[in-house]
Amino acid sequence: MKIGVFVCHCGENISSTVDCLRVADLCKSYSGVEYSVDYKYMCSDPGQKLIKEAIHKYDLDAIVVGSCSPHMHERTFRNAAVSAGINPFMVEIANLREHCSWVHDEIEASTRKAIELMRMAIEKVKRDKPLTKINVPVTKRVLVIGGGIAGIQAALDTANAGYEVVLVEKEPSIGGHMSQLSETFPTLDCSQCILTPRMVEVHQHPRIKLMTYSEVERVEGFIGNFKVTIRKKARHINEENCSGCGLCITKCPIKKKAYNSFEEDLAFRPAVYVPFPQAIPNIPVIDETVCTYYKTGKCGMCLKVCDREAIDFGQKDTIHVADVGAIIVATGYKLYNIEKKSEDSIYKGYGEYGYGKYRDILDGLQFERIASASGPTSGEIKRPSDGRVPKKLAFIQCVGSRDDSKGISYCSKICCMYTAKQAMLYRHKVHDGEAYIFYMDIRAGGKMYEEFVRRAIEEDKVKYIRGRVSRIYEENGKYIVKGEDTIAGMPVEIDADMVVLATAMIPQDDAGSLARKIGIPYDKYGFFNEAHPKLRPVESTTAGIFLAGACQSPKDIPESVSMASAAASKAIILFANDTLEREPVVAKVNEDICAGCFYCMKVCPFGAVEVKDVKDMNGIVYKEVAYINQGVCQGCGTCTATCLSKSIELAGFNNEEIFAEIAAL
Amino acid sequence: MNELIKHAKELLEKGEVAAVIGYRQVSEKRTKPVIITEPEETRALVFNEYCLNNLAVYLTKARIKLLGRKNNKSFKLAITAKPCDVHSIVALIQENQIDRDKIHIISFNCHGVVKDFGFDFNGDNLSSKCITCETHKPLYYDKLLGEVKETPQARDSALERIKEIERMPHNERFEFFRSEFDKCIKCYACRAVCPLCYCQRCITDKTIPCWIETSSHQRGNFAWNVIRAFHLSGRCTGCGECDRVCPADIPLSLINRKMTIEANNLFSFVSGRSLETPTLVGSFNEKDNDELFM
Repeated sequence: MKIGVFVCHCGENISSTVDCLRVADLCKSYSGVEYSVDYKYMCSDPGQKLIKEAIHKYDLDAIVVGSCSPHMHERTFRNAAVSAGINPFMVEIANLREHCSWVHDEIEASTRKAIELMRMAIEKVKRDKPLTKINVPVTKRVLVIGGGIAGIQAALDTANAGYEVVLVEKEPSIGGHMSQLSETFPTLDCSQCILTPRMVEVHQHPRIKLMTYSEVERVEGFIGNFKVTIRKKARHINEENCSGCGLCITKCPIKKKAYNSFEEDLAFRPAVYVPFPQAIPNIPVIDETVCTYYKTGKCGMCLKVCDREAIDFGQKDTIHVADVGAIIVATGYKLYNIEKKSEDSIYKGYGEYGYGKYRDILDGLQFERIASASGPTSGEIKRPSDGRVPKKLAFIQCVGSRDDSKGISYCSKICCMYTAKQAMLYRHKVHDGEAYIFYMDIRAGGKMYEEFVRRAIEEDKVKYIRGRVSRIYEENGKYIVKGEDTIAGMPVEIDADMVVLATAMIPQDDAGSLARKIGIPYDKYGFFNEAHPKLRPVESTTAGIFLAGACQSPKDIPESVSMASAAASKAIILFANDTLEREPVVAKVNEDICAGCFYCMKVCPFGAVEVKDVKDMNGIVYKEVAYINQGVCQGCGTCTATCLSKSIELAGFNNEEIFAEIAAL
Repeated sequence: MNELIKHAKELLEKGEVAAVIGYRQVSEKRTKPVIITEPEETRALVFNEYCLNNLAVYLTKARIKLLGRKNNKSFKLAITAKPCDVHSIVALIQENQIDRDKIHIISFNCHGVVKDFGFDFNGDNLSSKCITCETHKPLYYDKLLGEVKETPQARDSALERIKEIERMPHNERFEFFRSEFDKCIKCYACRAVCPLCYCQRCITDKTIPCWIETSSHQRGNFAWNVIRAFHLSGRCTGCGECDRVCPADIPLSLINRKMTIEANNLFSFVSGRSLETPTLVGSFNEKDNDELFM
């Protein structure tokens, strides 16, 4: 075997602490090395040309490149090798930058380490075998999890590109938090007015299969070939028969037993309900927990009034399976609840602000409902406790956010803007009212955002007080907000009629368990992790699973929408080919020695291990062994490490190759 | 033991099992494993304090497995097992080595066995695993025999020894194990006797590449014994057979027991105690202790 060795200086990144010339010279003396050279930028065009020419000139069978991490340029060098006629898997990279020059500063020692790294790679490449890429088919259908604005946008974009979409939403209607908002910053256009046409479009789209009141149970498979199990919860309404007339809702005698979660618990709803009038689909849900029929077996008023026989008390959850090629996760956020938290929660709560104790202390979404024309007060700003119009309103920003002691160190990003908007809306509706905003900093980065805040201050006379609030308590029907004005350097006390807390945006409660089901990483709060914070912001680290909206980090509507379109385009790019080319780095079982303990099957994160029967010459099964489906295997090597008898080998990283590397040290 | 003989004979006569794996008496204080396929041979079967061998190991041997297959039909194998041996059987079922419905477990109310053949059965000579035994009645069985008797009291000197080794400084502990492993003659009796060492080709027999040096010098000895301990971590049921058969008297069960204690402390798991609990290796629970991760 003739091996070529190429040592890159990476400008000065490597050569400042590694004597590249010495490394290249020494490599010449190793057996099998036919040619060895150093060069300033091996990844550059002339550098690659150098490699290709050497391959031709010295008739090389394999090459070793000492350069940066294989994450950066392995593909570059493999492609160069291929164009010169070498199998791409006969290329080894010794990471002389991240593993050596960047982490050491002593030239002599790091040069010696570089030589060791090169020798390991040379010993490995000697045992490398040419591998051919595996082609797997792509299912051109996408699963979108979450039917908020991000999920809606992603579903519409993918469907409009010509691909089928399965949109799963856990609530009875799509629309998400955006459907609850009154008006949106910085233009003050009505949220529902701009959202509902999109919702209708989703509903009517021939390529979108909408599954509301459904949850993803399980995801198996891999990029291009996911198998998704979806649980469609029982609505107790036959969707085929229901016309959405709403008679069951108006006739339901249970009026005040369940809070309306769409109205953020500021109103009640019947036992059979649609979340809001514009709900898509406009099919009610019967809430088993409050419905009299499920308690006593009596009532059945809805059954009597429904002339389409749509009420189905016996309906059960159904399980649906969908084959998809890509998954877009858009599960959104929820608001931090400031009430006291359990001991093991990372969040600590704000007992001192009295939320939940005083009915006129609201969070941001509750105020949205009060300000909304379709809300419980029909858009009039009134106190939930006594229905009086508040004359003095205090807003507190950063409740939960940017507060390590309460468990969240990040900025929730949208609160500065929506608080300014809410104060503005209040001033528009209550002309003689006073609005105070306690803030830490005003973060109004975005098109027309700063101008919007200035308008709130200058035109609408919203009073901004820089400082934190220490306590809120009730006194003679007023809420005493005790804080400090850090600019004036004095304590402040405001006797407000109502207080709105801009509580932090946190991930949905089940974000972590969903992430584990679909196999994507998440941070300590439960926000899903992107593959790269700058260059791959909408991809998860699991191939074929993309992220959109506030499930990745706090986001406003325009950001969520752009992220959704980006995620959709990532799925569309994936679907541009009929087959996917996959690295042939997959595991294979040696059936002769496999003991059939199936630990590999238990540990495989991709479900790639199957049971294979081994038969004797009479056709009788005499043992069971593990079999690895090459199309499903992602080459992670977990089975290889787990196998006690070392019966599994990972192509490109087999025992012999790894052992040779270690032995070369 | 007439009951045992009667039961085994009946099983074979009725054709319910193809063979009975049991013990026969060879001298006053010694038994040997026996595999019986004819009903009249069952008269040799015994069960007493000298039934030391963990017969579960035979369930994994290809030749014995073959006994269960006659005329292209599969038959059950009957095995006489002490309650502790049942743990091994449970582990083997969980690791897909045998089917529960392909074996007939004849077990006993056990009050302990001697530490080795030739000793009198009393507190001084009680096998170390019997001192702390909590399963005098088997967890799983198809036939339960024998009467309940009191186990003699004895000191858990093995645990004391483990604590002693734990207290040693690092280099001293290393030296202790080196001197113990030095004695290893690589006879692999520990492997042959272990029911959970069922691999058809052990990693130590792998020569390309040769991860564990096969000759019995210090490096290979260390590698073999340490890897054996790791391969059994969270899997060893504590039958102590390796320790009993080691001709060099290496205290192998100290290592295994220490690993079992560690696994139990970290994950509240002891191998072979339940068919329902997933195996420690290969199962993941969100509540798993993650202090081991760096």
